[in-house]
Formats: sequence, structure tokens, C-alpha cells
Amino acid sequence: MLGMSNIIDNKKLTTKDEDLKYVVLCQKGDTEAFDVLVERHQKKMLNIAYRMMGDYDEACDVTQEAFLSAYKSIKKFKSEAIFSTWLYRIVVNYSKNRLKQLRNKAQREGVSIDDVGEIKIEGALCQSSANETNPGAQMEQREREAQVQKCITSLDEEYREVLVLRDIQGLSYEEIKDILKIPDGTVKSRLSRARNALKDCLVKVIGDL
Amino acid sequence: MMNCKDIENSLPLYLDNLLSDKDKRAIDEHLKSCPKCAKALANLKRTDAITRGLSEVEPPSWFKQKIMARVREETDKKSFAQKWFYPLRIKIPIQVFATIFIVMLAVYIYRAGNEQFTEVLPPQAPTQVLETGKDKLSEQTIKLPEADKIVVKKKVSAKDTRDEKVFMYDVSPGSGAPKTQERRKTSSQEDITAAAGNIAPPVQRERAADRKDASYSALMAKQAEPAKAMPPPGVELERKKEGYVLGASMKQSRAPEAQSVMPKTTISVRVGDLNIAVGEIEKLLNKYEAKKIVKQMLEGKAILSAELKVKNIKDFIVQLKTIGRVEEKGMPADSAEGDIPVVIEIIGR
Repeated sequence: MLGMSNIIDNKKLTTKDEDLKYVVLCQKGDTEAFDVLVERHQKKMLNIAYRMMGDYDEACDVTQEAFLSAYKSIKKFKSEAIFSTWLYRIVVNYSKNRLKQLRNKAQREGVSIDDVGEIKIEGALCQSSANETNPGAQMEQREREAQVQKCITSLDEEYREVLVLRDIQGLSYEEIKDILKIPDGTVKSRLSRARNALKDCLVKVIGDL
Repeated sequence: MMNCKDIENSLPLYLDNLLSDKDKRAIDEHLKSCPKCAKALANLKRTDAITRGLSEVEPPSWFKQKIMARVREETDKKSFAQKWFYPLRIKIPIQVFATIFIVMLAVYIYRAGNEQFTEVLPPQAPTQVLETGKDKLSEQTIKLPEADKIVVKKKVSAKDTRDEKVFMYDVSPGSGAPKTQERRKTSSQEDITAAAGNIAPPVQRERAADRKDASYSALMAKQAEPAKAMPPPGVELERKKEGYVLGASMKQSRAPEAQSVMPKTTISVRVGDLNIAVGEIEKLLNKYEAKKIVKQMLEGKAILSAELKVKNIKDFIVQLKTIGRVEEKGMPADSAEGDIPVVIEIIGR
């Protein structure tokens, strides 16, 4: 167990060092170095945004904006911090801002944001599980995931972000604390409530798990 | 002792092994005896498995390219902005120096403008000119290097006799006088232009055509015609020169240039028989070596213009007095040398 932990720590350290190398190049004006950073983090960024938003297209837009914003302010990045943590904070904040905008827009137009999200979730899931061989199982999986995503989207944002980062993206409590800039105890309590709320939602939607 | 609600709230942390040993033992004990909480734990484990098993979405194929395109676009925009507006340590001093330069230039132009303004102001009133107009003409030098480009260089005493002539024309040409006087308001140069008009520079010739005084306008026309045929010196030269001065004065040229106008003598002779008198006066002019004699016959009078040597002019007038009653205006100073334009107005009875 201890040996495994050391391997993971070493891997993170190496990634951090490699990120930092490209970040320093970007800070010196090397635009192409940012290409490596985009390549490395785009999938995780997009998935965080997607699970936060529940909308694939919106998630793509938000992730692009987040990357652009990161590039614009890359000179402000301090080498003591972890680049991925800094990047995930940007995408979480952009997602929350975008959700707020969409909510306000939906309120003005009298449309439920969940209704719009549901269709797009299905579209995105088609894309994500296109390589499935069994069409029946594929359909069932898609439906299940849509229901889960609907439950995730129904959570309050402060619970949703903790759940997405911890249970879906598998980040550590320490990383979540740094990304969200909240105390350790708050992370734990929010995560506890988020899990219970999601469980209750899934039981309600799917039935006995 | 924890109840089911407390247990349920602690179960997520129980799953992550984040509880103290004491709390963990208490939950373990509770779960053995409470199927409801055990089921909650089972559902929680299942939920955890479902969330962890959610498939990841893949970014679109164009995703990275699009991000990088926008990043490069941003870099270009930034570099353009940097080129023109940054760094401020360069930009601000340039702006400061530019501002100082503009202010200095404005002050310089303002002062230069003031100097010019004082230069074109009239040095004295016309009446004063009359009183002092007899001062001698010191020196005149005329240069005409090219036909289309006339350069006039002169040294004329400040109180010039040309002002005197202006006054003469204010009186004599009748309706022409008001126009001349109006123009005189602006500067002494305007006085000169009025005098110059007597020898018909282009603008003045146009004005003369409007005037009722036929003799005056006829003289203008007469003197304008021989411009091509006659050689440059003499009256023609004088005309060009004065025409230049007129043009210059209209463009608000400087006072020293305007002062370079040749004085001119006007003599009116009242005679009994006009034709005989004209013949005699022409003979007299020839006798006194007059150049560029121009004759203009009009109804009841005749006008002769010519250039006479200053030293001959007194004798010429004495001879004229034998022909008729003579009135002279704008007589040159005794010490003056060279040729002087003379206009002789012969009036028959």
C-alpha cells in the first residue's frame, strides 16, 4: 500500500515538473508550449465542465474559454502552485459562471434548464459510448448515465463541484481544498451531503440500487 | 449514542475511512442491528460505484486546434498592443516630449504671428504723409530676372512720396477715390496699391473699368496695351513692379516691400486749343529726352504719360507754363536722379 502511494506521489511530482517546464516556456512567450499543456489537460478539463454543466456543447465552450483565460493570465501563475490545480479552478469557476448565465436566461425565457440539459446529455453520451458493441446494453447504459447526470445536475453547485472532483475525477481532498479554496472540514462535510443527496436522488429515479 | 440520522450522515466518510476509530466502531455496531442503515450504506456504495463508473466524454477532434488558434490570435493581438502601447516606460516619455514640442511650436507660431501683425500696421496717417512727403528718395534698385518671376529690391526712405500720390488720386479720379480710401484703412501698403493702380496692375485695371471717370479708365487701358510691344524698362517696368507690390500687399506682405514704389508726378495744364497744345507738349517732351511717351486723347482733354529725367523736369514745367496754366503735384526732390514717370493732363477750354 505504502509503495503504491509513493509511486502515485512520484508520478504527480513528475507531471507537476513537466507542466512547470512548459508553463515557464509559455511565460517566456512560447505559444507552442501551451499546446502541450492543452493536450495534457483538455480531457479532464472538459469532463469536469461537462459533469458540472450537464451539456456537452456548453462544456466545450466553457473549457475553451477556461484555456484561453489560463493562457492570458499564465504570467500570474506562481511556480509554487500546481498547474493542474490552478487550471481546474479556472474551469470550475467558468462552469459556475456559465451556469449562472444559463439560469438567468432560462428564467427570462421561462424555460427549465434541466429540460434543455437532458437532451444534450443524451447526445453527449452517444458520443462517449459509441464504441459499445451491444446496442441494447449501450441503450441501457446511456439511459442510466443520463439519469445519473440528471441527479448530479440537480445537486446544489457547492455539493456538485465537490462530488465531481472527488468521486468522478478522483482528485484528493487536498487538491479539492486547493481548487475550491475551502477548508478541509468543509470539503468533507459537503462531500458527505453530496453523496447522500445523490444516493437519494438515484433511489428515487432508478429504484432500489 | 448515535441515531440513524447521524449514522447516515457519517456513512460517506465511513466509506472513505475518514472517521476516528471510535466513530467507526460505533457505526459498525449500529449497522449490525439496523437493516435500514445497512441498506443506506449498500446504496451509498452502489452510488459510489455508479459515479466512478461514469464514462468520460472525449473532446472533439478540432478541440485543441481551436483553442490554439484562439491562443495564437490572442498572442498577435497582444503583441500588436505591446508594440504600440507598451512598455509604458517608453511610451510615457515620448508622449511628454511630444506634448512639450507641440506647446513650444504653438508659442513660437503665436509670437511670429504677432511680429507679422505689427509689421503690416500703418506706420502713420495719410495727412502726416502729406506733410513729410517731400523727403528725398534715397535709392531705388529694381531687378527683373525673369519675365514671370519678378523680384523687387529697393531701399526707400520710410516716409515715401508715394503716399502723397495716393492723396492726389483720392482727389482727382472722382468716383475712384472712395474705393481707394476704404482700402487705405487696413495698412500703408493699401495706399501704395492705390498709387500703383494708376499705372494699371491687373486688379486695379478691373476696378478702373467700373469708374465713371472716362479719362482715368482710358489711361488704364492705354497703358495696359503696350505691355507686349514695349521693352521692359521705364513705365512698363514700373507697372510690373507696382503690380507686384499690389499683389504682395493683397497677400499681406511685409511693409518694407510695399515701400518700394516709385513716386510719380502729375501735371495738369489748362490750355486754349487742346490739339495745338498737345502737339507742343509732345515736342517739349521730345526736346527734354522723354521716354515712353503715351498719348491718350479724350473729349475735352488729353493725357500724356512719359518718363522724364528729374533734372529736366523743372525746365519742362517752365516751358509748359508758356503753353497754359500749370498745376503740378508730386514733384520729385531736387537732388533726385534718374527718370521719373510724369502724367500730363491737358485740359482744353
